[in-house]
Amino acid sequence: MNDDGALAGLKVLDLTTARGHLCGRMLADMGADVIKIEPRGGDDGRRSGPFLDDRPHPDRSLFFWFYNLNKRSLTLDLKNPRGREILLALARGADLVIESFAPGAIAELGVGWKELHAANPALILLSIAPFGQTGPYRDFAADDTILAAMAGMLYVNGSPGRKPVRPLGLQAYHSAGCYAAISAMCALFARDRIGHGQWIDLSMQEATISAVEHVAGSYFAEGRVEPRRGTLHWSRYFRVARCRDGYVMHCSLGDWTSLAQWVAGDGKAQDLVNPEWEDVIYRAAHAEHLFDVLDEWVKDYSRDELLERAQMLRLPYASVRRPEALFEDEQLAARGYFVEVEHPELGRKIRYPGAPYLFNGTPWRARRRPPLLGEHSEEILREDLGLDPAEIATLAAEGVI
Amino acid sequence: MAPMPLEGIRVLDFTWVVAGPVATRILADQGAEVIKLERKPGPPGSRQIGLQGDLHRNKRSIAVNMSDPKGVEIARRLARISDLVIDNFSARVMRMWGMDYQSLSQVNPGIVCVSMSGLGHTGPRSSYVSYGPTLQALGGYTMLMAEESGAPAGFGYSYADMSGGYTGALASLIALWARKRAGKGQFVDLSQFEAVISVIGPALLDISANRREQSPPGWTSQEGPAAPHGAYRCRPRDGDDDRWIAISVRTQAEWDRFVAAIGAPGWAADAKFRTLYLRMRNRAELDAHVAAWAAGQSAESAMELLQQAGVTAGLVANGADICARDPQLKARNFWGMVALPDGRTTHVTGIPMRLSATPGAIRSVSPEIGSSNDYVLGELLGMGRAERDELIADGAVWQ
Repeated sequence: MNDDGALAGLKVLDLTTARGHLCGRMLADMGADVIKIEPRGGDDGRRSGPFLDDRPHPDRSLFFWFYNLNKRSLTLDLKNPRGREILLALARGADLVIESFAPGAIAELGVGWKELHAANPALILLSIAPFGQTGPYRDFAADDTILAAMAGMLYVNGSPGRKPVRPLGLQAYHSAGCYAAISAMCALFARDRIGHGQWIDLSMQEATISAVEHVAGSYFAEGRVEPRRGTLHWSRYFRVARCRDGYVMHCSLGDWTSLAQWVAGDGKAQDLVNPEWEDVIYRAAHAEHLFDVLDEWVKDYSRDELLERAQMLRLPYASVRRPEALFEDEQLAARGYFVEVEHPELGRKIRYPGAPYLFNGTPWRARRRPPLLGEHSEEILREDLGLDPAEIATLAAEGVI
Repeated sequence: MAPMPLEGIRVLDFTWVVAGPVATRILADQGAEVIKLERKPGPPGSRQIGLQGDLHRNKRSIAVNMSDPKGVEIARRLARISDLVIDNFSARVMRMWGMDYQSLSQVNPGIVCVSMSGLGHTGPRSSYVSYGPTLQALGGYTMLMAEESGAPAGFGYSYADMSGGYTGALASLIALWARKRAGKGQFVDLSQFEAVISVIGPALLDISANRREQSPPGWTSQEGPAAPHGAYRCRPRDGDDDRWIAISVRTQAEWDRFVAAIGAPGWAADAKFRTLYLRMRNRAELDAHVAAWAAGQSAESAMELLQQAGVTAGLVANGADICARDPQLKARNFWGMVALPDGRTTHVTGIPMRLSATPGAIRSVSPEIGSSNDYVLGELLGMGRAERDELIADGAVWQ
C-alpha cells in the first residue's frame, strides 16, 4: 500500500475558529488535503498562547500549531463578494467544509448550506456550534469552560462541597472535535449510499455530555445526581493515594490474592486478609475503608517501585505522573510516539505528539508543519482554481486574499 | 426509514469494559451490524439501563466459548464474512486464537483489524494492565486535575475510556475508508494511552518547545486571557447549595456588557478593573466581587441574564439539570427513549451528531448475551438446527 495516507484524495475546507480546529487536524493527519481558510489578520487561534519562547506572534502560537499540523493556509476575506466566489469555487472541488461560526453566520454571508449545496451537491457541510443549529440556546455564547459546565462535565470534577476544578486541556472542544471527525467520516460513507452530501449539525454540548461516562446513566438508571467524588472513581475501584515521592492510583480490580499477600507481607493488611474482601463487589461497597488501609500501606513506597511491582503482579496500579514525564516515557519512545517536525524558517525542530493509532498500511504522518499565515494562498489559487499570477496579484492588492 | 451511513458493514466485536464498546456503539448507531462475541450469559436485564444500556444498544450478541476449538472456529468463520474485527485485548490473545490480522487477512484480505489495547501491542510496557483511571494517571491528567493546594482532586470518572472509544471509532472508519481505494484492509494498533494523551492539547508543545513545567489550569483560561473567568456559587435551589454559574469575560465589549447586565455596581468602575490586563492582575479582588453578586442569583437566572446581554456564561449543570431540565436538550430531543423487553421504557444518551439525510437511529436496547445465536449461526453461517444444538451440547456455544 502506498503511504500517501488513508484519506488521500479527500479535500477539506476548514473554516473553523479555534473551537473547531481539532477535527480538520485529525483528518489532515491521515492524508486529507485540509485547507485552513483564515480571515484577514489570521485565525483567532494564532492569537492564543502559549507562544514559542513566549514571544507572541501569529506564526509562533503553539496553540495554533497543535491544532493545525498538516494543514495548508489560505487567507480569504469572506466579507468580500470576490472572496465568497473563491470559496464557492473551491467548494466545487471539495468533499467537506467544516465551520464553527455562530449558527446562521455563513448563511448570512451567502455561503451557507443552500449555496454550498447548489455549488456542489456532493459536498458535506459540517457545522460545529456550541449548542447546535437549533433550539433556545442556539445563539448562546460559549467557550470550553462554559461547554464543560453545561454538559455536566465540570460539576463532577473536584472534591465534594468544594468548587469544581478543570481538566488539563480544552476537553469539551476535544470531545466535540473527535465526534466531528467521526461524523464527517459517516457522512462520507453515506454519500456513497445516497449519492449526495448532507449537512451535519454537531452540538458541542451534546458531544461533551457523551464524553462523561456516568452522569446520565446514573440519573436515568438510579435517579442519582452524580456528585463530585474527589479522586474516588464512581465505580469505587480507584482512588489516588499519597506515597513517598508523590501520588499513586490504587485499583482494587485485578488479582486480589496477589495484592492482599503483598500488603500482608509488608505487615500492613489489617483486616484485608479477611475472606469477604475477596469479593470484588464487597471491595467496591467498602471502598473508603479499603483505600484508607491501602493508603497507609503505600505511603513509604516510591511511585516507580510500586508501579513496577504492581504491574508485575498484573495489578492495574499507576503512578500519578506529571505530563512532562511523557517525554521520557520508554513505552512512548519505543513506539515512536513523539515526532520531530522541522520549522525551517525558525531553524528548529519541534517535538510534536504523534499518532494516536498505528495503521500498518496507511500510517499517520506529520507531512508538513503548521502553515504560516496565508502561506499557501497563491499555490491554492493557482493549482486548485487555475488562476494566473496577474489575477492573484489583483486579489492580493484588493485585500481579498 | 432513512438509510444508514454504515449499512452493510459488519463488525465482529470482542471488546469489553467501556472504551471498546463506546467505539462499536458509535458504529452501531450509524447502521453497522455489530456482533458482540461474548462469554456465558449473566443475569438477564442487567445491562439495559444506564451506562450499560448506552454501551451496548443497537448491537447483537452471541455467546461463544473461545476456550473451545469449535468456538474459535465459529469466530474465524465470522471474521471471514466481516469487515471489521475489533478487540481490546493485549497482543497475545487474538494471536493465540489465530484471530490476529496476519492470520485473518490470509482468508479475508479486506478485513480491517483494530486492537484497542491499553498501551499498545509493542514496546516494553505493552503487557501493562490498565483501565481508564490508570491511563489518566500515567498521562498527566490526574496530577493536574488539582486544587490550588496541588493535591489531585479528580477525576471521579474515566475520561480515557470515552476518548479511547471515540478514537477507536474514528480509526475504524478511516481504515474502512482506505480499504475502498486500496482494496485491502489493514491492522490498527491503537494504544488507549496514546489516544488520550493526544488530546492533552497545546500544553504538550509548551513542554517540548518551551520546556515549561505545566501547572494545574485552575481557573486560568486555557484559550487566551479572561477575567472574570470562574465558577461562582449561586443561591441554593430547593435546599441544594451546590449551584454555580461559570462566567468567561474576554474582550472589552464583553466586560462592558457584563457590567451593564449586573447593574453597573460601583466597584466595576474602579480603575483597577479598567482593562483586561488590569482585571487579570487584580483577579482575586474581581472574583470576590463577582462571587458576591452571584450569591444573590439563582444559577439559571444568572445564566439567562448574562446570555441575554451577550456574555459567555453557563450553569454548572448536574445530572438532573442535563437529563431533566435543560431546555436546549429537550428542544433538540437529545435524550432517546427506548422500550425495554418488559414493556417499560428507559432514556438513553442520544446521538450527538445530526446528519440531515442519514441521522442514524437508536433501534434496540442492549441485547441479552447470546440472544442472536440463532441469527448469527443459522442465517449468517448457515448452520442447521442440529449442528447448532450439537455446539450447545458440546459447550462451544452457550444458550
